[in-house]
Amino acid sequence: MSAAEHRDLIPWYHPKKLLISFRRSPPLVAFALSALLFLITILINPKGLNNRFIGSLILLTTLLAISSAGQTIVLIGGGMDFSVGAVMSAAAIIATYTMDKQDSVLIYVQVLALSLLMGAVVGLLNGFFVVKIGLPAMIVTMAVSNIITRLQYVFTSGSPAGWAGQKFVDSIIYRFFDLIPSIVIYALLFVPVVFWILNRSRFGKQVYMVGNNRQAAYLTGVRVNWVIIMTYVISGMMSAFAGILGAGYKATARVDIFGEYAFTSLVAVIVGGTTFSGGVGTYTGTIAGALLMTVLSNLLTTLGLPQTMRDILNGVIIILLLMLYNRSKAVRQ
Amino acid sequence: MIEMRDITKHYGAVQALKGASITIPAGKITALLGSNGSGKSTLVKVLAGLVSPNSGSILINGQPVVIRSGNDAQARGISTAFQDLSLLPMMTVSDNLLLGNEPRTPFGMVDREKSRQIVKDLMDRFKIRCSPQDYVQSLPSSTQSMLEIAKAVHRNPRVLLLDEATAALHMDEITVLFDILRDLRDQGLSIVFVTHRMHEVFELCDEAVILRGGETVKSGPVTEFTLDDLVYYMTGQRMAHHAPGQDVSETSRQGQAVLEVKNLSLPPRVKDVSMTAHAGEIIGIGGLEGQGQSDFMRAILGAKHKTGGSIRFLGEEVAFRQPAQAVKAGMGLISGERNREAMFPDRTIAENIFAGNAAVGPRFRFLPKKFVRKFSEDAVKTYRIKIGSLKDAASTLSGGNQQKLVIARWIAVGPKLLLLDDPTKGVDIHSRLEIHQILRESAQKGMAVIISASDMDELLEIAQRVYVFYEGRVSGVLQGDSMTQENMVSLMMGFTNEKADGLLMKSKEAQA
Repeated sequence: MSAAEHRDLIPWYHPKKLLISFRRSPPLVAFALSALLFLITILINPKGLNNRFIGSLILLTTLLAISSAGQTIVLIGGGMDFSVGAVMSAAAIIATYTMDKQDSVLIYVQVLALSLLMGAVVGLLNGFFVVKIGLPAMIVTMAVSNIITRLQYVFTSGSPAGWAGQKFVDSIIYRFFDLIPSIVIYALLFVPVVFWILNRSRFGKQVYMVGNNRQAAYLTGVRVNWVIIMTYVISGMMSAFAGILGAGYKATARVDIFGEYAFTSLVAVIVGGTTFSGGVGTYTGTIAGALLMTVLSNLLTTLGLPQTMRDILNGVIIILLLMLYNRSKAVRQ
Repeated sequence: MIEMRDITKHYGAVQALKGASITIPAGKITALLGSNGSGKSTLVKVLAGLVSPNSGSILINGQPVVIRSGNDAQARGISTAFQDLSLLPMMTVSDNLLLGNEPRTPFGMVDREKSRQIVKDLMDRFKIRCSPQDYVQSLPSSTQSMLEIAKAVHRNPRVLLLDEATAALHMDEITVLFDILRDLRDQGLSIVFVTHRMHEVFELCDEAVILRGGETVKSGPVTEFTLDDLVYYMTGQRMAHHAPGQDVSETSRQGQAVLEVKNLSLPPRVKDVSMTAHAGEIIGIGGLEGQGQSDFMRAILGAKHKTGGSIRFLGEEVAFRQPAQAVKAGMGLISGERNREAMFPDRTIAENIFAGNAAVGPRFRFLPKKFVRKFSEDAVKTYRIKIGSLKDAASTLSGGNQQKLVIARWIAVGPKLLLLDDPTKGVDIHSRLEIHQILRESAQKGMAVIISASDMDELLEIAQRVYVFYEGRVSGVLQGDSMTQENMVSLMMGFTNEKADGLLMKSKEAQA
């Protein structure tokens, strides 16, 4: 075999082939962009490269990846869930209020049960309105999200409600080897569940089918409405779980504390290669997208710009990213 | 005259055209023939400016040109009637016909009076019977096809491309269309006619160009070909002739009654239809397009809800509220509307095959990767589907292979009753024969098969019994010796069995 032939077999010798394999794999692009932005961050502020910085990067990425799991499933099924942030905030409030600085297994179980139930009910409402009334998912979930946020005001009278138990807080932010935050333990339990649901169950296959061609799924014998409602219920429960972890990270919770996650999770999912039109996407992509969003936010902080400037830049970069991902591929018509 | 030389086009790893050439003379009708996936549609789209080729040249009257867009093509006098219509369903007939071509007043506004006249003339010429103010989505598919062609003709092209224009047309409409096309030809137009119906080639066309695997394999005057020749060049194989209503018919009737439908009604589309299907039987449903065949099948499956009559499935009275229940009970439906109702284009071939199983099994049980792969590998092998890799998107497959994929999806699940709604629509003759073979084998293993088709030759060949639909009713049942083209045609036109006999008598008397 000549050197040239040998080179043909290894894609990264060919810039063009490399580009193609990148375009076929959005997660790869997101990981590569994250690495690039991380490098820039370090170049701007070399002192920033320390254990604390990397640890918080991992923590925030993990939290965003868990928050975006439900969104991924809903989007693949052809919907959209704008209530992620509201449910997370509500779950965080339930968690801090119930714990009130105490730690015990009984309280943990209470928090988990109450929050998951709340998430499931919100998801059920979302799914029901989307399917039975036939309203656009974005409008429905936004409206439901508003209701949840207002209810938080009613419940807390607007002031922060209680504190998370210290042991619970430690279980999120403790650093192994002074580097890896302990939230990854939760991720190690959570991520396999997402992969099982999406990739290793018939339900997951059905979600992809419904998202890609609803009529075909219906005639193939999928209970389309049930599947769609279930995606919202699962999303609600996963957001609630993310909210509990978020409560541990922040230690206390005020109204709408995670409101921005509605939008950030959506962008992380899209940047990870899941399409708005449904039927296409992976959770691996979402994890990559979460990393990219976190690194980007860190970079903007490092630049030391005022908050308004940061927000503007953030918006511009997100639009650029979405443009990059929405370029259509050549397919047979 | 237009020449296309050595055109190549690939989509990712799939090579749609590899050096196809075609000469389109003025004043002739050129048939463009080939199996599904031979590249006909791609070639048409290249000329229409919708697909830019990877290499090759296009010459108009000897001058090389580059066609960059649909507008570009139209500016050069190339007009196209597309297979998957370019009409806007939410706009009126009139607006669609004139779209982008509206007559203007001196002030640049649309000239309504003139528009009305143009549309009226056009509709008269094509004998389109509907109001210019009707919305396109409310019209039957045959009328929509006719509008699509009228719209293309209205642009006064020098070259007219018709991509499977007759697929959805009724017989009387085809006659009207052919007269118009002959007129246009005599006025010096170049016409390219893509079709799967071989008899239309001999009836209408002057020249034939045959593609296979993205290459031009043969071209010449139609008079130089026989039907067998055409099929041979298209498929590379000589045609196998099946005797109508094949052998199995004797034994099959002993099978258990799988489906008994009594007086099924679904107004206004289906009225008072009864039908019985036994295990091992292949039942045909014939008729012109849109006579209630689709609605009848969907009512059995529970996708539409009957208002009267009864359905017994495997001896039990059933009334499914949605297809999921019917599928669970052991039914399957294959729709000929692949893109709209059967394919998951962005999902992989493996997932598309597994879809039938995915819809019925336990939802949250762990599903090993190997299990899905093995399932699809077996189906690909058994049903001879031509694929690159199981991981490719299903949209990379040709129409015929897509349909085999959908059929494999169901047969692999092993339903007791398989409903097929015009499954070979737009499928080439070779894939069609393979699909028939798969159905016969499945029937022999005890599956009951109900198949509707707008092509009556297909039904006469495969079915043991044919129920002919006319305006939502069964106008007659053909079986054994009565399964002839003549009987079928008269039933399709709405003559009942007795009337049909009378009609035949008359025509015989007339001949004598």
